[in-house]
Parts: sequence; structure tokens; C-alpha cells
Amino acid sequence: MNMLMFSQFLALAGLLAGVYGIYRRYAETKRRALPADKSPLKGNPQHGVTYAFTLGMMPWAKESTRLHMIAYLRGIGFHIGIFTAIGALIVSPFWGFLPAVLNLSLTVVLGIGSLLGAAGGVMRLTEHNLRGLSIPDDHFAVWLVTVWMAVSALAVWNEAFLVAFYILSAITLAYMPLGKIRHCLYFFFSRTFFGKFFGRRAVFPHPETAK
Amino acid sequence: MTETIELALKTLEAQLNQPLETALEACARCGLCAEACHYYRAEPKVEHIPAYRSEQLRNVYRYEHDFLSRVFPAWTGAKKLDEVTLANLSEMAYSQCTLCRRCTVNCPLGVDTPLMMRAIRAMATATGNAPEILVMLADAAIEKGKDPSFYKDMFLEQIREMEEQLRDITGDPNASIPVEKQGTKILYVPLAGAHTILPPAVVFNAAKEDWTLSIFEAANYGVFLADVNRAKAVAKRIVDEANRLGVKEIVIAECGHAYASYRWDVPNWFAGQFDFKVRSLIEVLAEYIRDGKIKVDPTAIPEGVTYHDSCNLARNGGLIEEPRYVLNKITTDFREMTPNKAEAICCGGGGGLVALAEYTERRLAAGKPKADQIKKTGARVVVAACENCRLQIGDLNEHYNLNVRITALTDLVVRAMRLPKPLPGTEAEHLFEGEGALVEK
Repeated sequence: MNMLMFSQFLALAGLLAGVYGIYRRYAETKRRALPADKSPLKGNPQHGVTYAFTLGMMPWAKESTRLHMIAYLRGIGFHIGIFTAIGALIVSPFWGFLPAVLNLSLTVVLGIGSLLGAAGGVMRLTEHNLRGLSIPDDHFAVWLVTVWMAVSALAVWNEAFLVAFYILSAITLAYMPLGKIRHCLYFFFSRTFFGKFFGRRAVFPHPETAK
Repeated sequence: MTETIELALKTLEAQLNQPLETALEACARCGLCAEACHYYRAEPKVEHIPAYRSEQLRNVYRYEHDFLSRVFPAWTGAKKLDEVTLANLSEMAYSQCTLCRRCTVNCPLGVDTPLMMRAIRAMATATGNAPEILVMLADAAIEKGKDPSFYKDMFLEQIREMEEQLRDITGDPNASIPVEKQGTKILYVPLAGAHTILPPAVVFNAAKEDWTLSIFEAANYGVFLADVNRAKAVAKRIVDEANRLGVKEIVIAECGHAYASYRWDVPNWFAGQFDFKVRSLIEVLAEYIRDGKIKVDPTAIPEGVTYHDSCNLARNGGLIEEPRYVLNKITTDFREMTPNKAEAICCGGGGGLVALAEYTERRLAAGKPKADQIKKTGARVVVAACENCRLQIGDLNEHYNLNVRITALTDLVVRAMRLPKPLPGTEAEHLFEGEGALVEK
């Protein structure tokens, strides 16, 4: 077994460990009670959930994101890069067969994602509030993912980085359920509860709100 | 581990359902919630960021529930709960968060920070760390429910006096305030004090409503304590009363937390025994005006009027357009604060804070963003449809020299009804009469 194949097995193991760990988290949370809301509806919880995942995520939908538009868009770009990196990992055995334009697009998205990640990492270190809020896990997670995306971008472009890419993929994915990165799972829970709560009360979506 | 800590952790465990675990897990510590909080706006420091506050509970949760945190606590900030930490958590949850949910609305992930603050409040209540006055008020209400006969005669006597006033104001010799009348459509639940009985009585009589007055008050301090058993015991008085009288609907006085709890929580607490429609008095006013059941003068209030959205009524309750509908029918110069509605800034009086004298200074400081908002409107009259908000804005009025009058919505509606005599003992009365009048009669 050569180094490349070994690293690919590692990446596969990391992916499986990550998926299993996230599934365990999901199952543990789902085992907990979910209080049924029997209060009479004013609005529509389903509409609220739809809003929470669509218009409610738009940068103009909240005062916080309007105030910090650049920081929010940086975060969005960073997360697009992360999901692209996961996609790139899954299709990595076929990179050689992909059209050049697609490979170039992958490199660009991953490269931008890693730059935005690095900006986030620097902000965590330098910005007063972020530094005060951050725990070691936050710093580690943002730099781990940033380096992983950067190496992904290089690996799409140059095979010499493939081993490093697979090893970093293994570490990142295996770490996913253990630390801060697992908020990727709870994002879905959280926005769903948000949508149900405010949707039921006809607060969101509400055409007249937030004027 | 001491018994207190054991009890605190047991209380946390008992509350750990899907929404709470999600709130504890989802935060990415991006800090975007900072300016959403009125405490941070008033005094921008890390400790006032909602994410920082919730992180204090997360540290305890992680120590108990997270593998990595148990192995390397320093990596995630995990912390074993001790008496000092519990006391600090309790003080924070009662004095630095009004449970307004503005941070939730502004969080890109929708993290429900107030849910975590409620969890801490529950831990504090269970272990005797909650503010004593809130416990006393909740327990007094529960006792009152056990034996209302103790004060009922006195209450009825006061109501008879109020009835005389009502007839005098309205010029209607048949105007009445029925108490615990059997089989009416509406059971109106006031707050403590004539100011939440007389003005609604004027409106109900004018609308020829089939109504009766509850002998209990709508306020529920068990809600502030995040003590479901106490909150249920307080609410049960009214649920039982409504069942006993066979009413169809419960109408809650202008009160944020009472409306939010009876409209959204009580139906869950008393599933199967609670078939009543719950409305706020605000909704009833809007209906009466819309249906022509009461006549109001659209030019009655020419002064600049602004409306403060109570967090429990608007963001947490969904009552956003109804008060505006009413105000637009009785004022000629209505001015919105910015931001408003679901994005409205908390006045700083919610979550039981106005009852906690030990935090007055902190409460007034945290109310500065609201005071600034009011100032910017240039309005002379501030309408707040929540008793706690009115008390807080009243204090802000003095503290920040706002020079405004703060009034309930119903008082203003009664003014717009152009009765033969003014409604005594309300701020709305002063809009038209006497020393410091804002509007010419």
C-alpha cells in the first residue's frame, strides 16, 4: 500500500467516524423530549421553518447581519467553502476525469473559502469581543478547516498535495463531532425550532415586521 | 458534590429537552448577537454579549455531557459547577437578561439564549438562589388562590366603589362591573390596581359586552422564576375560575408576560382542561373599533404618540399590528420608534426586573437604548401595553429627563371615546386636563 492509498483509507475512516459521530449526536438529541405545543395557532409553524432557512438567512433579514454585513458574508463564504471541500473529497477519485473548468471552479471556491477562513481566524485573535468569546476549540476549529480548504484547493490543482489533503480531511472529519464543528448539525435543529416558535406566533414570516 | 449542586444539576437535567440541548450546542460564538442586547448597547463589554452569558451555562453543561470537555476541560472552557459558579449564574440570569429574545432573532443560527437563562433561573429557584421577592410574590398568589374568601369581601367593596365612578364617568346609570358572573362570554383578568379595571370596564360597558371580572390578577411571578410548578399553580386559579364560571374566553389585561404565558404556555400546562380562547385586551379593543362597537374620535389625540412594543406581546407574543391599528384610529400623529415590532429594543423592565430593587441601577442603565429611541421620536406620549414596561419607562422618563407621559393603550382609547367626564387616576387624564396638560381641551 502506498502513501496515497493509505491517506485515502485514512480519509475514508475519518469520513465514516465523522458521519457516525454526528449521527450519534443526532440520535442523542432526538432521544430527548420534544415538548408538544398545543397552544392555538396564530401563524403557521411550517411557514416559519421555511422562512428560517430561506429569507430569514438573508443578510438584510436581521439587524445584526445588516450591521455586520461583511462579517456575515465572510461567514457565508467560509461555509460555502467547507461544504465544497466535503463535496470535493467525495468526488476526489474522479478529479482527473472532471472538465478543467470544473476543477478550476473548485480551486477558486476552496481558495476563497480558505482566505475567508483565515480572515475569520485572524478576527478571532484580534477583535476584542471575538477574542473574549472564543475558547481554544474555536481557534483550533477555524484554522483546521481553513488549512484543510487551502490544501484542498492546492490538491485539486496539483497532485503533490493529495496525501496532505486526505490526511487533513481525515483529521477534520473525525474531529467534526467532537468539537465546535458539530454546530453544523445543531444549525438545522436550531433554525427549525426558531421557525416553529416564531411561525406559530405569526412573528416570522410577517410582511410588516422589521420595517 | 454538595446537595445544592446536586439539586442544581438535577434541575438542569430535568429541563434538558431538544430545544435546550440545541441552544447549548448550536452557538458558533460569532458575536453577531452583541448589539441585539440592550445591556450591551448601554455598556458594550464582552460580559454583556448574549453568547458570553449563555457560555457560562454551556461550560457547566459541557463538563457534564461532553466527552472532549471531560478529557480536556480547558479546551472547551468546561467547568465543574460549584456554589460560587451557581451564585454567579443566578445573579446573571436574573439581573442581566430580560428574556426578551432579541438575541435569538438576531442570531444567524437562531440560538435561543433566553431558554438557557430560564434554565439557570430554574436551577436558582430550585436551590434557593432566586430573588426572594419573586418567590414571595409567586407564593402569595398561590396562597390567594387557595382561599380567596380572605380578601374577596374587601375586593367586592372596592369594585362597588369603582362601579360608582364608572357610572359617573360614563353617565350611564346602568354601567356595571360584574364579578365572577356565571356563563358570560368573557372573563377579564386584570392586574392589581383599579387602573387595569376601570378603563376596560368603560370599554366593555360601551361595547355592551357580556363579560365578568376575575377576582384574581393576571401577573404570574412563577413565570419569572422559570418554576413551572409555581407558574402552573398561579395560573390554575384562573383556569379553575374560568371552568367554574363556564366562560368562553379569557381576556388578559395589558400585561406582556401574562398574555404570553396564558396565550402560549397555559394551554400546554393544562392540556385537556383548557378550551378557552385567550386574547389580550388589545385585540378586543381593535375588534370593537373595527366592528364599530365603540365609537372613537379619530382626532382625539393630536399630540405626537409613539408605541413601545413589549417583547412579550410583540416578539414573543405575535401582537404586532393590533395596537397599531388602534393607535391609528385615535391619533393623528403616530410615530414609530426605530427599530420596532419584532426587532424592537427591550425597555429593560422585563423578566421580573422591575420588581428587583437591588438591580435598579443596572436596570436603568440598560434602559438607555430605549430612552434614546423615545427621545428620537420627539413624541410627548409613550403608549406601552405592558405594566412592567410602563413602570420601567416611567423610571427611564425620570432618570433620562424624557419629559413624556406614559400611558396604557386602553386609557387612550377611553379618552378617544369622549366620555362626559375624564377617567381619573390615569396618565391619559393628564393629556387633557390640569397642571402639565399636553393637549388643549
